[in-house]
Amino acid sequence: MNPAIYALGFVVFAPVLGGLLAGVDRIVSARMQGRVGPPLLQPFYDVGKLLQKRTRQINPIAEPLLIAHLGYMAATGALLLGGTDLIFTVFVFALAALLLVLAAGSANSPFSFAGAERELVVLLASEPFFILMMVAICKVTGASTFEGVLASSQLVAVQLPGVLLAFLLVATIKLRKSPFDISISHHPHQELVSGLTSDMSGRLLAYVELAHWYESALLCAFMVLLFNWSVPVGVLAFAVAYALEVLVDNATSRIKWQLVLRSTWAATLLLCGGNLLALFVMGR
Amino acid sequence: MSLPSIVFALVVLPAVLGGILSLLTRASLRNAIVVIGGVLVAVASVVSVVAFGGADGTFFGLPGNVTLGQSLLVVDVGLTALVVAFAVKHRRILAPILALAQLGIAVYLEVAGRLPEPDPQRLFWVDRLSMVMILVIGLIGPLICINAIGYMRAYHRSNPMIEGRRTVFFSLLFVFLAAMFGLVVSNYLPLMLVFWEITTICSFLLIGYTRTDETIGYAFRALNMNLLGGLGFGLAIVLLSNQPGGLDLALLTHSPAAGALLPAVALLAFAGITKSAQMPFSSWLIGAMYAPSPTSALLHSSTMVKAGVFLLLRLSPAMSGSTVGYLVAFVGLLTFLFVSLVAVTEQNTKKVLAYSTIGSLGLIVGCAGIGTPELAWVGVMIIIFHALAKSLLFLMVGTIENRLYTKNMENFDALLSLMPRVSALFLIGISGMFIAPFGIAIAKWTAIRAFLAVPGPAGAAMILIMAFGSSLTIFYWGKLLIKVLSARRQSDYERSIENRVSRYEWFTEGLLALGVLAATACVGLISDHVVGPYALAAFSATPRVFLAIDPAILLVMLSATLLLPLIGVISWLSPTYDQADFYASGRSANVGHVMGAALGGIKRVTLRNYYLDGVINGGLVFRAGTVACGAVLAAMVATSMVIR
Repeated sequence: MNPAIYALGFVVFAPVLGGLLAGVDRIVSARMQGRVGPPLLQPFYDVGKLLQKRTRQINPIAEPLLIAHLGYMAATGALLLGGTDLIFTVFVFALAALLLVLAAGSANSPFSFAGAERELVVLLASEPFFILMMVAICKVTGASTFEGVLASSQLVAVQLPGVLLAFLLVATIKLRKSPFDISISHHPHQELVSGLTSDMSGRLLAYVELAHWYESALLCAFMVLLFNWSVPVGVLAFAVAYALEVLVDNATSRIKWQLVLRSTWAATLLLCGGNLLALFVMGR
Repeated sequence: MSLPSIVFALVVLPAVLGGILSLLTRASLRNAIVVIGGVLVAVASVVSVVAFGGADGTFFGLPGNVTLGQSLLVVDVGLTALVVAFAVKHRRILAPILALAQLGIAVYLEVAGRLPEPDPQRLFWVDRLSMVMILVIGLIGPLICINAIGYMRAYHRSNPMIEGRRTVFFSLLFVFLAAMFGLVVSNYLPLMLVFWEITTICSFLLIGYTRTDETIGYAFRALNMNLLGGLGFGLAIVLLSNQPGGLDLALLTHSPAAGALLPAVALLAFAGITKSAQMPFSSWLIGAMYAPSPTSALLHSSTMVKAGVFLLLRLSPAMSGSTVGYLVAFVGLLTFLFVSLVAVTEQNTKKVLAYSTIGSLGLIVGCAGIGTPELAWVGVMIIIFHALAKSLLFLMVGTIENRLYTKNMENFDALLSLMPRVSALFLIGISGMFIAPFGIAIAKWTAIRAFLAVPGPAGAAMILIMAFGSSLTIFYWGKLLIKVLSARRQSDYERSIENRVSRYEWFTEGLLALGVLAATACVGLISDHVVGPYALAAFSATPRVFLAIDPAILLVMLSATLLLPLIGVISWLSPTYDQADFYASGRSANVGHVMGAALGGIKRVTLRNYYLDGVINGGLVFRAGTVACGAVLAAMVATSMVIR
């Protein structure tokens, strides 16, 4: 099939997948905490309502920055599935993440600014991993595109156990789950109010939420790359990983940014770096 | 006009302009000469490209078949005398020793008759790489000179304690350009060394411009380190002098070096590493930050450090595949990693820019050391984009610094609303340097792809360095961007400061910004017609780069480049919006950055970026990098002597 159709498919269906995932997440989390939880489609209702609300702004550049954040997040997935070089898509992914930081920082207010700085720290913590993951996948399969990896006879996850473990850790950052949810959290009662989004309202929040759905779908696509047996296997693996993330989220409390940075870098260096070194030494 | 004559004009014209400027003390006349001379130099460099056409390489000698004779020795004596005079005046000992040692080598070669007579028709070598350098020097250099007219006026106004010596200053800028032109077209190594040393002396004098104890110290540091590099260059010439065709750069770098040639190549690479301010020699470029900003812009973009990486790229085919080449690559890549770590702890914007320069140069050194056509392609691409973006950034910081009276990025907050037009240009520069899919990001990506093919642990180490290094660059650029884009309500006085930017600055900075955008738009053309054919000619293999094939990549690149400047312009048009004050736990607060204190009264809100205190110790990292890179460098030179 034409890769352009995959790309278009991602842009259209990724928010649906991401939104449903958020709905399931809220129900499962509620059950873990002994509550019933909202309806499955609650995230969609929320975004719908946010779009209708009055939007007050501190700095008018936040809106174009957030639209660009959403656009590049969608573009990352479209490029990935559309057959662009895997390593290149990671750079676009980082750009998308950076735009959110800039939008939050532009408010120049105490909570938003602290959230933005912390988001920059988690970006610094997670970025090396994504580059190394893609490099390792390219190295194992000899392919450089999404389709190529899926078509490869090499089973990626089997050869990249270290990368897989590190992925579980870093996905916690990207999914904004405890203990790494230092810049923004879905849970109330925290020292940073709502961090990054403290000074956003109305449709601005809707952009952030939509972009996050794309991000979740993107992580799912990354997992498919790691479990390249077939797409369903990859999605299943992502579901298992996500369930694990929700459990950890509800069982831990957030840690300081210093520890986030140190632990993520250490894991990346040891697990990913070690895995990569083994690949290079064995001459794959 | 024939190519040789226009190339001589390129070397002679700025030198003559420098001479004229050294005699002019009237400001109006001097400014006119700088502008007219700058335009002439730029025109001449474009004409040279037209005259060059698309040939793979051309060799030629001096006009009228004049031979060099003893002229190089005469210049050497003159330069050494200059160093000795300054050293005596400021009571320094190391610089004259290094300079005299180098002169000793030159005299020894001459007296012992060791220098074979060079082929008079092969003194100069012009190929696509020379052309790239000529355009970088000839188009960016004059813009910096013209910009300096406005900058220096504001600089001396805001620093009344510093004695104005602008006659010398502008004269040096043009002599510097002349030496750079000479350097990038030289084929006969002793000739190149003379131009090499002139650039060293020029940068020494420019760094010490203000003549305070501090800047004189930094000037001598730069001088010592670069003279040491020059000494390595001189020793390489000694080693090469008894090899047939050894002093002919094109022949030397035609194929991987072996046997007796290898130590000479290693020593030349050593010289290139000192000049491009790689660790352990990075501190001279950091010290150079205390000079006026146009000096920094010149040293970082089109001259000096670019001479170092130019030589390394020339040597790249000779280092290809050898242990020496790998070790050179590691000096560059480790430098990239270490200075990126240091940069996240730095508040001084000019220093952040300096570390970023050293890091980018480190990438070029890494590419040159490994020596594949793909990596040579990357190296030249970085030269082009870095020169454009970094010169723009330094000039912008200079412009901002002279109006805000600070170089600290913490004080750049709300720059976009304070100086919207300046910020738009500044944002173009930042996008040019790093925003993900742009020239340098494309280069990084291609480099990672090429490192994938490097076998064994070396390949894995290079990729790890790239992954962590690139992530660090996002962090320090991101911080600067947050400050620039942030909001704060301003007084009328603050809003008027942008009107004090001179027309010289607007003109040059605007043109450079356009250059950045044009280069991005034409990246495919540059690759197909200039950099690609250069790599093919140097390595006899077509570089396999993943560019311009995929329209999606091109689209993403262009949109990302324009994104921040466009957003800046949107806010500048200031559409109406529903103004809110920020959230401060229920206390009253506003964008003027005051909020109600707990016990009444008001407090100012101060927000400070993260510098990873407690996680990264900048000073320690810098020393560690110096030691590590010093060890690799020593191993590089030693290896070349042992492995035959």
